[in-house]
Amino acid sequence: MLRRLTLPIRAIVESAFSEKFLPNVSGCSPNSGVRIITQSFASAGLHTSSVRQLGRHDRGGEGRYKPKEMTAGGENSSILEIRTSRIDDRFPDLQLPTRVFNGIMFKDLPIVNVKASMNNTIMTVTDVAGAVSLIRACGYDGFKNARKGTNVAAQATAFTLGKKMVQRGFKTVRARVQGLGPGRLASLKGLTLAGVDVVSITDNTPVSWNPPRARKQRRL
Amino acid sequence: MRHASFIARTVLVKNGGVDEAMALLNNVMSRDGFFEQFRRTRFYEKPFEMRRRVNYTKCRAIYNEEMSRRLAFLMRTNRTDPYPGSS
Repeated sequence: MLRRLTLPIRAIVESAFSEKFLPNVSGCSPNSGVRIITQSFASAGLHTSSVRQLGRHDRGGEGRYKPKEMTAGGENSSILEIRTSRIDDRFPDLQLPTRVFNGIMFKDLPIVNVKASMNNTIMTVTDVAGAVSLIRACGYDGFKNARKGTNVAAQATAFTLGKKMVQRGFKTVRARVQGLGPGRLASLKGLTLAGVDVVSITDNTPVSWNPPRARKQRRL
Repeated sequence: MRHASFIARTVLVKNGGVDEAMALLNNVMSRDGFFEQFRRTRFYEKPFEMRRRVNYTKCRAIYNEEMSRRLAFLMRTNRTDPYPGSS
């Protein structure tokens, strides 16, 4: 049974983030990895097949029919564990708060808050309690008016902030990103260019499913 | 209930690969409908707009379902399973 399951699971886990197998990974639970495995099992049941069997038939028989699983590749060792662990270590688990990064526990790492709005990007560096020690926005770096709301401005600002952070000793941080502006990715890129080690990215965009009535539509 | 911060909606960065981590996070979040909801709640959606949107999505879903059914019908194969036991 295990042998029969290995290859499809590999294919599924590989394509997990481009297809619909994992609809709900960010469901904010610490054991999302467990869900991945169970879902893979469920969908793998649809087309399980032995690797060796498929390979033999394919070579011997007609060339037209190529089973999907063949494209995934060859080996049939303990792919299940390897692949799922590789997916899992992208997502937090219950041990994450106490895991040590560069000598500091994750829960004690300083936080870079990035507010990426449409018109500006504001970054602050805080400790765990939320006390601000550094702040930087695109206007500080000479980007004014509409130019503040660009990814170039965000990256430059993050770079200068990152340099300061390294000076101050904030070398390993976790990032908390808010908003969908152009600085969402660029700011983190700038930080890494400046030599800051970003350990994790957390999204903190306020999204409500029962929001108060929003402002009226823009008339263009 | 609040979700635990830095556990929820969090992706770890591997080997400084901020791009990949962010892509993964965005991927997951867009699949969960966070971005769509965010975009849609920036401005008030009048009732007629909501009706139109809902009807449009309904029609689209029906059209897509029907089209995929037709395609499956056209592409059907009528032969015995060449690899019995392997599917």
